Amino acid sequence: MKIRFWGVRGSIPAPGPDTIRYGGNTACVSVHGRAGGLVIIDMGTGLMHLGNALMAGPFGAGRGTATILLSHTHWDHIQGLGFFAPVFVPGNAFTVWGPGGSPDVLEDILEGQMDPNFSPLQTLKNFSADFDVHAIELGAPLTAEGLTITAREHPHGSTTALAFRITEPGSPAVPGSPGTADRTFVYASDVGQPTGAGPDPAAIAFYRGADVLLHDATYRPADQATRRNRGFSSYEDAADAAIAAGARRLVTFHYDQDYTDDDVDDVVASCRRALDARGGAAIDLVPAREGDELEI
Amino acid sequence: MRVRFWGVRGSIPVPGRTTSRYGGNTSCVEVRPRGGAPIIIDAGTGLRRLGKALMEDGFADGRGEASILISHTHWDHVQGLPFFSPLYRAGNRIQIFARQRDTHLEAVFSQQHGAPYFPVPLSAMQAEMSFHALTEGARFELGGARVTSTRLNHPWTALAYRIDVDRAAVVYCSDTAPFTDLLLGREFVVDPPALDRPLPPDVAAELARMRAAVVGLATGADLLIYDTQFTHDEYRLRPHWGHSHPDDALAIARDAQVRRLCLFHHAPLRSDDDNDAILARYRGVAAAAGDRFEVLSAYEGLELALGDEP
Repeated sequence: MKIRFWGVRGSIPAPGPDTIRYGGNTACVSVHGRAGGLVIIDMGTGLMHLGNALMAGPFGAGRGTATILLSHTHWDHIQGLGFFAPVFVPGNAFTVWGPGGSPDVLEDILEGQMDPNFSPLQTLKNFSADFDVHAIELGAPLTAEGLTITAREHPHGSTTALAFRITEPGSPAVPGSPGTADRTFVYASDVGQPTGAGPDPAAIAFYRGADVLLHDATYRPADQATRRNRGFSSYEDAADAAIAAGARRLVTFHYDQDYTDDDVDDVVASCRRALDARGGAAIDLVPAREGDELEI
Repeated sequence: MRVRFWGVRGSIPVPGRTTSRYGGNTSCVEVRPRGGAPIIIDAGTGLRRLGKALMEDGFADGRGEASILISHTHWDHVQGLPFFSPLYRAGNRIQIFARQRDTHLEAVFSQQHGAPYFPVPLSAMQAEMSFHALTEGARFELGGARVTSTRLNHPWTALAYRIDVDRAAVVYCSDTAPFTDLLLGREFVVDPPALDRPLPPDVAAELARMRAAVVGLATGADLLIYDTQFTHDEYRLRPHWGHSHPDDALAIARDAQVRRLCLFHHAPLRSDDDNDAILARYRGVAAAAGDRFEVLSAYEGLELALGDEP
């Protein structure tokens, strides 16, 4: 499984000379399975750049398919959709899984973004590709792109967002080789424990044993303390979750829009110290940066 | 007055290495009459940083007043509003002006600014907000400034604004297609039309009227800010998108006899080097044509003093 970061910023795109190293685009992550399937998680402004890259392959010829997972429908997780070039190529097909409890509710929300007051597209029906919207059933694994995907709802300020656990089956042992174990990537952005009471046991069970845990690390603890109601994690929350879940690698994600590259350097260094001090010295820390790729 | 650019990009914010000199934030321009309250044109993502600057300037104490003129409510012209810090402070007074179509303006902004898209509803804003629906051609006063407007050629339509104050005038003309090939309005245009074909006489007449009104609005302006999202060739591929190009902007500036023309609403994927090249090329074009106006290209942080400014 190859994981690539196209947008790592929270809340609103943050262009400027002081966000170039980590990137200023809002949330978008691609997951390429070993068998060639593509899963896209969240549709922030990073999605435009993913789409432009995909146009060089089958999506440019109308022969692309992908599964899109949507954690929630706040702007910074959907605002790239109207600029995603592959949806304007007939023949491409996208299956969207997200929150809302019913496909009609979720499709209406995405339609609202294309309302003629806001978008020259006027409606999702002006997409040329197939764009099929489904509500995901919490806890029920679905199989797509050769991967097994499970969703869990977590608190996010006044609302909730979905975390996704994506597992790729290991390759079977061939005579004389050990085969490979299952590989697991967990995406847990936009999560805020309302009380700050520490990791939720049910969340930890969901993250358990992840090869890569991508976790919301929007804030330094001092900034989180004054903005607890916004529903985001600090780098300490991310470190605690990774340690409790026994994750092998932790990816920090969804940096505050006001944090410069130097601030994020500090968040990452502080997160490393928190891991080391709390029993997570063996956990690899990989800060999400636009354009970087991880392989599991 | 002073005019400062906070967001100069069209369509979608584009953070990154290749856009950091001109800037990746979407449309937002601050017009500051001498000694007067700010008049902000458009509320793209550039508005977030303008809001932070205003918080250093009276708005943190709830004593701020500002007007926001919205050219139209497409995302790249309103998406900064939920992140405008002065809205979160009681006592500030924010007036929003925009062309109203079928839906009341407050309902349009409420849809943007609340569940399921944003965590804090518009109704929870602490500042006193008022919404003023404009019709095409609206004229009104803001403090000592006179605001006039006219319709642009853009899907669902947009308004151009002229602000006269301190014995100077600035005109903001974004977003608009040229007034030549296609009349844009309510309908979604699926396929670009064949260009260079004669237009039906009524359409040609309406486009000519719109162009004349834009030239009239801009006549004698000290600064004309104009949508040049496309190059001429890009426009010919997408005439139905409602954006113009520098050749058209120069022609309008020439007819309106403005003093300065500022290229604006840069395409998202236009790099800083591309923008440098476009500016150099059209400075050459203007010089060769004997144009008397100066050509500029908008970048974040560009500030111009017009009229009675020390």
